[in-house]
Amino acid sequence: MTARLLLPLAPVIVFVLAAAPAATAELDEVVARGEFIWAADQEGGGPHVFPDPERPERLTGFEVELAALIAAELGVKPRFQQGQWDRLPLLLGRAADCVINGIELLPERRRDYHCSRPYFAYSLQLLARRDGPLDAFEKLAAPGPGGRWRVGVLTGSAAEIFMRSQADLEVDVIGYDGTIDSLEQVTSHVLDAAVMDDCIFNFYADRFAALRVVGRPFAGGLYTILTPRDTPRLSAAIDDALGRIIADGRLKSLYDRWDLAGRQQILALRDAAEIPPAGRRSLRQLAGEVLPLLLKSAGMTLLLSISAFPLAILIGLAIAIGRLHGPPILRPLLAGYVEVLRGTPLMLQLYAIFFLLPKVGLALPAIVAALAGLALNYSAYEAEIYRAGLKAVPPGQFEAALSLGMTKWQALRHVIVPQAVRLVMPPVTNDFIALFKDTSVCSVITVVELTKRYSVLALSTGRIVELAIVTALLYLAMSWPLALLSRWFEGQSEKHS
Amino acid sequence: MIAIEELSKSWAAGPVLRDVSLVVKEGDVTALVGPSGGGKSTLLRCLNGLELFDAGTISIAGHRLAEGGHPPALLERLRRDVGLVFQQFNLFPNMSVLENVALAPRSVARLPAEEARSRALALLERVGLGSFAAARPVTLSGGQQQRVAIARALAMQPRVMLFDEPTSALDPAMSAEVLDVIGDLARGGQTMLIVTHDHGFARRAANRVVELVAGRVVRQGSAADLLE
Repeated sequence: MTARLLLPLAPVIVFVLAAAPAATAELDEVVARGEFIWAADQEGGGPHVFPDPERPERLTGFEVELAALIAAELGVKPRFQQGQWDRLPLLLGRAADCVINGIELLPERRRDYHCSRPYFAYSLQLLARRDGPLDAFEKLAAPGPGGRWRVGVLTGSAAEIFMRSQADLEVDVIGYDGTIDSLEQVTSHVLDAAVMDDCIFNFYADRFAALRVVGRPFAGGLYTILTPRDTPRLSAAIDDALGRIIADGRLKSLYDRWDLAGRQQILALRDAAEIPPAGRRSLRQLAGEVLPLLLKSAGMTLLLSISAFPLAILIGLAIAIGRLHGPPILRPLLAGYVEVLRGTPLMLQLYAIFFLLPKVGLALPAIVAALAGLALNYSAYEAEIYRAGLKAVPPGQFEAALSLGMTKWQALRHVIVPQAVRLVMPPVTNDFIALFKDTSVCSVITVVELTKRYSVLALSTGRIVELAIVTALLYLAMSWPLALLSRWFEGQSEKHS
Repeated sequence: MIAIEELSKSWAAGPVLRDVSLVVKEGDVTALVGPSGGGKSTLLRCLNGLELFDAGTISIAGHRLAEGGHPPALLERLRRDVGLVFQQFNLFPNMSVLENVALAPRSVARLPAEEARSRALALLERVGLGSFAAARPVTLSGGQQQRVAIARALAMQPRVMLFDEPTSALDPAMSAEVLDVIGDLARGGQTMLIVTHDHGFARRAANRVVELVAGRVVRQGSAADLLE
């Protein structure tokens, strides 16, 4: 019995083992390959790495030029590798030799990776609407006119870590996957403020003319290049290369060209202090801190699925009935609804609801937007399933109901729909499980559910594999009962047919 | 009770009913006989508006149908007065036998639940299935299912009962129990129009016979004369 129960877990275990770091490329391999692969997220934007506005197929940014300088020092060509910003370090040793993308030098990063000598000094900057009430950082210490201040940050950034550590501020910190998502949301009044590296806002200041910097920059730090811990010669070569680039003024002239405060920068980099690596806590210590967080996020996953799915079913059923029995002028509209929602990605729909609706004055809280997105997206699938189910009920049933004097709607309600619902029970339960897992997409609109919590915790604690197993087990603990339920329904409908 | 005048209807493949005229008087039991494909079932379905027709008129249980579409409200009123029993029974598998019979009195005639229930139970007793009230239709034999279907149609206390080959899907033993129920109704004075292939039954239960061949009425008269 135990073996039978564990068997379905095998793929998870294999996956987790496969996710363990593979062999990494040392300096000699990089040289032999003739290419130096550096990872960054071009979605992160300027001034670091972004598509050239004039030639969008080409990347530009000060880090693109820096990578080229370092590659030249190593005697090889640079090659760009795209990745999602908060997961870039996971590419090390597999798809990339190093990460160069505004990675702040933090104790947690020194614990898990080799951090090069710094190549840029940043400060954090608070930003708010020009016409808003927030005009000094100190105001964050007391609640604003609308209660606690809502402040957006880039997930996994130094800004997020700093803001979350400020327990005495009346602030709700909300993490975004894109650098300037939070600026958009401040502009459309969803957030009160954003905090980010000053160079990023300076770069985009023209685009967000309605926003202003609030107070002086604070809590500065340094950008570093990440390399795996097991390629010491490559790490040393990068440090040496940086040293030469800084010493001979090439970095200064690069920053001058990008208008990134040349002289002050170089002084800061020359005198950069060492940041000690963070200690690695024992698994037992970790469990006490991490498990409650994971469980809470699992609760969010469950809440999203069990509230969104009944909505999806109701909307879907209404649409299916409308398409088959509703007024003829409505039918093409309903067909269009289904095709649009089924033919576009859930992530895009969530983006539209969360980021675009505020522009027309409808700002939904993230959880409501997530529920709406999931319910609407899945309603299209449920509509198709129910349409098939309604058509599968023999026409004699409809005729028998009508022959008793029932109206069309009475026949549907008492006779057709109950039979259709039973027929489609297995595919509908199947979709419930699919929606349950699709809740993870909601992290793109700042909802912290189980998958998001995992990736945040995995990066901050460095326990990538252990937490992956715990997270997978939590998902299974929730979806297994659903699978059993689905099988039970299948048995039931076979019995009745 | 039923008066059909010069009814015509065509499918894409050709005419199925040609100038059909016939009359069923109150208390009459009329058997509609003839070869397969002669238009018997189509004629029956026209009578309660499940099929439309191209020309002619139907007057049934005080309601009038003309060619073209019928307003839904008219059809709903008409069907309360006209019961229909199908060849394939078409019981609702999602309900118990009792619920099948009680559904229309409850949702269409708006009887109180208790009254609809006792009316349904009485009808099930009448077709000999009182003890099957709680059963699911799928657990019943074909003959039993057809008797439930008859009870279900009777539950609206229709002025006319239409039967569309009620025993064609049944073996002889099961046919006999269904025919007994229909014979019983005939003795009770229920006006009926029965599409059937069973000439023996037509002779016993019906007092009039209409023969339909290739969409035309070729013979009609008393059962005794026509089926000798």
